[in-house]
Order: sequence, then C-alpha cells, then structure tokens
Amino acid sequence: MLPEVNVMAMNAVARDTVFALRRQIAKIEGTLPERLEAPAPAPRAIPGKVRSGFPSGIAEKQILKADPQFYEKPNRSSDAARSDITVVRRGLAVASPDAFLHTGVERLDAALGGGLPKAALSEIHGLETRDAGAVAGFALSLISLILREKQGLPVLWIGTAEIFREAGYPYARGLHALFGVEPEQLLFSEAPKLLDALWIAEEAARMTALAAVILEIRGSSRLLDLTATRRLHARAQSASRPVFLLRQAGEAEPTAAPVRLIVSAAPAASRETVAGPLAGSIGRPAFTVDIGKSRTALPGQFTLEWNPDEHAFAERRPQEERATNSVAMVPVPLRGADPAPASGAVLAFPAIASPAPGDQPSRQQRPAHRSPRRAG
Amino acid sequence: MISHRDSNAQRIAALDERAEALKLKRGMGIADARAMHPSIDVVEADAEADRRLLEGLADWCDRYTPLVAIDGEDGLFLDVTGCTHLFGGERAMQDEILTRFFQQGFDVRAGLASTPGAAWAAARFHGDRIVAGGEEEALIAPLPLSALRIAPETRASLESVGLRTAGAVMTAPRAPLARRFGATLLLRLDQALGRLDEAVSPRLPVAPLSVERHLAEPIVLTDDIERLVSRLAVALKTDLERRGEGARALALLLFRVDGAVSRIAVGTSRPMREPQLIQKLFHERLTAQEQDIDAGFGFDLVRLSVLSVAAFDMLQGDLAGEASDDDADIALFADRIRARLGEAAVLKPVVVESHLPERAITTVPFSEAPQRRMPPKQSDRATPPMTIHPPERPVRLFRSPEPIEVPATEIPEGPPMNFCWRRALYRVASAEGPERIAAEWWRQLPGEEETPTRDYYRIEDSEGRRYWLYRQGLYSSASQTAPRWFMHGVFA
Repeated sequence: MLPEVNVMAMNAVARDTVFALRRQIAKIEGTLPERLEAPAPAPRAIPGKVRSGFPSGIAEKQILKADPQFYEKPNRSSDAARSDITVVRRGLAVASPDAFLHTGVERLDAALGGGLPKAALSEIHGLETRDAGAVAGFALSLISLILREKQGLPVLWIGTAEIFREAGYPYARGLHALFGVEPEQLLFSEAPKLLDALWIAEEAARMTALAAVILEIRGSSRLLDLTATRRLHARAQSASRPVFLLRQAGEAEPTAAPVRLIVSAAPAASRETVAGPLAGSIGRPAFTVDIGKSRTALPGQFTLEWNPDEHAFAERRPQEERATNSVAMVPVPLRGADPAPASGAVLAFPAIASPAPGDQPSRQQRPAHRSPRRAG
Repeated sequence: MISHRDSNAQRIAALDERAEALKLKRGMGIADARAMHPSIDVVEADAEADRRLLEGLADWCDRYTPLVAIDGEDGLFLDVTGCTHLFGGERAMQDEILTRFFQQGFDVRAGLASTPGAAWAAARFHGDRIVAGGEEEALIAPLPLSALRIAPETRASLESVGLRTAGAVMTAPRAPLARRFGATLLLRLDQALGRLDEAVSPRLPVAPLSVERHLAEPIVLTDDIERLVSRLAVALKTDLERRGEGARALALLLFRVDGAVSRIAVGTSRPMREPQLIQKLFHERLTAQEQDIDAGFGFDLVRLSVLSVAAFDMLQGDLAGEASDDDADIALFADRIRARLGEAAVLKPVVVESHLPERAITTVPFSEAPQRRMPPKQSDRATPPMTIHPPERPVRLFRSPEPIEVPATEIPEGPPMNFCWRRALYRVASAEGPERIAAEWWRQLPGEEETPTRDYYRIEDSEGRRYWLYRQGLYSSASQTAPRWFMHGVFA
C-alpha cells in the first residue's frame, strides 16, 4: 500500500512540475495554454520518452490539484479509447473543434489534440535542404486540405532567394497535379533577404483574402526569433488564417508556434495496379512526420501517405507494412549491386543514427521503418 | 578653365571671367594658353557630368512647367504656356527663374517669346528679354546668322555669298535659298517667326493630372511628406472621379530648397483613387528609399502626379454595405510589396503550352498577370477521372538543372545506380522511366545545333527522397560526347 501511495505522490509532484513548466512556457510565448491533455496510452512506445498512462481518476485529481481556478470540466468522452483523456480548457480561448485542421489521420489528430490549429503559425522543419521536396509537399498537402473549405482563395509562398536557389523553385504544374492547387491560385514572392521575407510574411499573415501563407527559409537566423514568430502567430490568429513556416536545415529554436513538425521523406510504396503492387515502381508520396513541439502531446512519429486523387492523407503503420510487404516494401531492383547489407531485423526505434560516412551529416531522428527497406 | 581634347590637341572648352580678362579665348590651345599665362588652372572637361547637371537643372525647372526640354549642351526650353499667371505674369516669372538660378550660383540668360526659335535667339543675343507676340521679326532681323540655329557649314556658305544677318536671309527670295542651302534653313526661319509650329518635346512624359503644394516652410521629415501626400491625394481624387478614372502609376516629386529633385514612382495593379491607399503605397516606397532621399534643408515644393490612368470600374457593394473584394485586397498587397521591394517581388505562375518542364510554367510579375475573371473551376474530383494519367511532375524545379555525376548505369540507357550531387553520394533504390522529352525543333533557329533529347527518370534514393533526373543525349558510338546527367527537380 505504501509504495503505491508513494508512486502516486511522486506522479502528482511530477505532474505539478510539468504543469508549472507548461504555464511558464506559455507565459514566455505570450499565450495561455489552451488545452492540456494527459495523452492516451501510446499505441507504441517511444524510447527515451515517458508516455504516462494514468488511470483517469488520478489524472483528474492531479489536474484539479494543479490548477483549480482554471479548471472547467473534465471532458469525458464516451469513446472508450479516449476515456482516460482529461481536457482542461482555460479562460481565454476555448478551442472549438472547428479551430483545428483535421489531417484525417486519427492518431496524428489525437496526438496534436484535435489537429493542426487553423489560425496559427505552424512550423514545419526539414532536417536537411534535400528534404525540401518532402517538407514542401507536406505543407502543400495541408494547404490542399485547407482549400477544400476555402475554394479559390490564393496561396502565397514567400521564400528567400537562397532557399529557392538551393532547394528549387516551386513548380506549379507539379503542385497542381499532386495537390490540386491551380496555378492561378498561387502567388510567389522571392525576397532577396530574410528581413524582407519576414516583412512580406507579416503583411501577408493578416490578410483574410489569402487561404494560407507559406514562409520558407533556410538555416537558422537570429532574425526569426521568439519575438518574430510571436508577431507572425498573433497576426495569423487575428486573421484566422494559417501561416506555415518551413525551415529547411534549421535548428529547432524557440518559437511561438504552437506546433512544430519535423518532416522528412519516407520511401514510397509501389503503385497499386489491378494485378497487385507493381514491382519497382514509385507510388504515392510519403512523409515521415515527427511532432517536435506541441502543447498537447508528447513527441511521436507517423508515416503518412498522400493520396493525390482523393486529396487525403492515409497513415502507414509499420505493422501493416510488415503484414503486406513481408520482405521489403520496395523490391530490390534487379540490377543487383545494391551495396546495403541485408539487416533482416526490423528495429522499432534506432536510438541515434550511426555516424554517416564521408561528408554526410549525421541524421537525427531517423524514421524507424527505413532500415528494412534496404534488406534483400 | 576647362579643357577638352579636340582633334588631337587640348583646347580650351570653357573659361571663367578672370581667364577671359587675361585675353584667353575658347578654342585656344592649352599649350598656347600656358605659354601666355603659366599659372592657369586647367581642368579636364567631363561631358557626362555636364549632362547630368543639365538634367538636374531640367528637373528643377519642372517646378515651373511640366514641359521642359533639353536643348543641346547648354540650353533648356521651358514651355510656360498657361503657367505664367501662377507666378505673377511673364516678367515676374522670368525674374524669379533668373534670381533663383543666380542664388544657386549659375550664370543664366533667359529669353521669353512666342516661338522657341525667337526665345532661343533672345536668350543668346539679348539676355533677359521678353518678346511680345508679333515682334519676332524685329527681334531676329538685326541678329547674325547664328541666331537662326543652323549648322555652321550652312552659315559659312551663306556668309560667303554676302548674307550676313538674319534680316538679309529673310528678304532674299526663298526658292533659290531652299535649293542651294537646303530646307532646314527656311524651316528654322519660319519656326522662329511663328509661321510654322515647333513642338518642344518634353524630357519627361507629361502627367495627365498633377497636384502640388508650395510650402513656405520646407519640410524634412518623412512623416510630414506622407501626410502631405495624403492631402494631395485627396485633391487628386476629385479630379479622378470627375474623369471616371483611376491612377495606374503615380509619381511624387520632391523639390529640395537647393535645387535637387527627388522623384519617387509607384505603380498599381488596378486603377486606384483612394487617398489612404495611395498614401500606403508611398509609405512603403519612402520606407524602402529612406537612405536614398536626402532631405537636406528640406523640400519646399511637393508634387503628386498621375503618370497613367485607366478606367475605374465601380463596384456595387451589397446591401450590408461591405463589398468584399478579395482580389482588390491582394492587388493592394502586391502593390505595397512591389513599391518596397521592386517589380519582381510578387510573381504569378502562368501556364505555357510546352513539353519542356522549364518552359511549361513561366512566372510574370503580379501586375502583368492576366486578371482572373472567372472563379477557378472546381477541383478535379468533380470532373470525371482521366483515363490517361499525365506524367508526374516534381513539386520543386531547379532554375537551371544541376549537373550530377553518374558513375555507372545498369544498362547503357537505363537509370543510374548511384549518383553524386552536391558532393554527396546517393544510392538509387528504385527508378521509374524514362520519359523522353525532345527539344522543341520549331523554336530552333535554322543552322543552330540540335539540342539533345532528355530522358527523365523518377528516382527514389535509399533514404526515400524522390528526385527527377535526366540524361541529356544518348549513348552511342557515333557521337563523340558522352551524355550528361542533370538533377532537375525534387518530388514530394
């Protein structure tokens, strides 16, 4: 009996600390935390991170204890899967379900606490410049979801001259084919300097005539600090339009954006034909999405596949991959001389990427399911 | 003293009063002048700087009339028709111009007449004279032939036959003169006497509308300028409304006390007449140019001109009183960006019928893009699916394809097994293709060497990133040059 009480007490203290810290973070960022959630038990564990799965009663009590004056109501949904989620809504903004952009992937939506906030700044990071295609593709697929509701509104894409030179200029034909964004809907703005790009973004963020604004920069800069992101976020909030900040090859820096996602390319599945998957083909675009920062959830990793015909996301789970592609997701090309050795074992979570050979920078947060692909 | 090089000898081009007092003359060799007076100070002539100065003066003269033309190396024509009453009559205006130039340190002579030719002669041969209409003949008759603005050769040959004054030419029979000395002589004569019209072609296009304000106290601060712009724009609005037009291009002229003129131009994507919007545009432009505009001792005249106009379509608001025009918002936004960062700051993609990926989309500045009249069609889910899928195109395209190194391919014309791009090695996991895109022969100039065809491959590397590569040319024993590989785009 005693040890259990101890554990509970420790948990209570830990939660208190967490909530205090979150409040402090929110204060620094200039916003009050809207929702706090005790996350659902993780569908799969994440090493190094503790996923707490409290019995609902305890969680409730602890939250009550942590912050009694703001406490409104425990949102006990009848859904069995979410029964142990406790939602605390705080005074200022009671988030309506309409305030979130539902990605259509339940697990990701749940992890983000309902989806991506629509009227907010969202950061999407690419770890390297060569991921720019995947990062841009992911942002555009989100915009494609937004455009379902806001038909015909234009999308402004602001970038520095550097990123457009290094990562390539957005190609309207490809964007139209994949995401259904008409070329007439697109506006590009190329700023010679980051300062100019920021100015354009701030001006654009408060326009309600735009469906969304993309600001794309490369690397980290002192100009884009907490204050700058807070300004962008505030304008996006007041115009209730999303602003996507794409940072290629940048460090994770303090930001006022409520959500930061880290996106990289995932190997595509084969094309589906009537006769089954077409060997050696490259199918729909796939992304690996890590939640780098979110008010409502602990970090998680998802593999999403974009369906260009339906304009919708679908999640690819490692279990399903294993079930359908028992050997390898993409067959080894018949050319044969694939230098990668067969690993055979499916590792759920590689801790840290092994030091890369040569001048290749080592990759953090390598998606888990990639290793089996090389396997013969 | 200023020298210039003329037929391989340094000669005096211009000289000041003290040098004139020393009996030096224009056209004299510098060596001779130095021999006479070794202490003279000689400066090399700078025709370019002279030109710039004259243009600066022409800009400054813009405050008197919008029709200012540069005449040769040292003259300015001001067409003051209809402007003199603003300055208290012809005499007062000429006096003011001369005084102002004198205060700026220029030695200026002016003449005012009904024809440019007579004014030219009056300025050069009388100095400070106003010729009333009809007196041109009396003015010109006693003057030497150089008062007629004719070429020196014509003048010399006229003098050789004994016609030494303009009056002598006027009395001579016209037909033989025209036959012998060309039509220019009589043309100049007629123009000077007002028998033929002569148009002064102004240096700058004349603005259809402009409003200005003379200030007793010069203004220095940018905020004051902006405030003044909005007041001028209010005055402009009534004129524009009466004409049923809106401004497409505007210019703000700031006349500094000491004669320098700053000119700030902005363009708009749509006809505009609202003072606040005009002020916003100038706000961006002034902010962007803050360093370039030197207020000095302040501006004493501010003019806002409409350079070009277009018909202004009135939009009827709905009954709630708010005409929500998103396109107008975006146009204004684009204008502001453009005013601050230049013409190409906001671009719009335009679809072009072409197979070549880099030609299939061009970007044009927002203001030049075709206006969208119809709402974009519904997403293609509404239309029946196409049976033939269009070839896949990347989401990002490099402006110029980047050369990559391909050490080996499985079969000669197949996809690469690995490649080196930006000093990093990529292993190809799977590939789709090729998609062959040939050069557009109908755009080739005759005789131009044929551009090799491109074979495009979709490549997925071992990390899951997808690229668009192409091989330019084919492997064949006939051609000497090996095909080259390029990286052209990135897929999502």
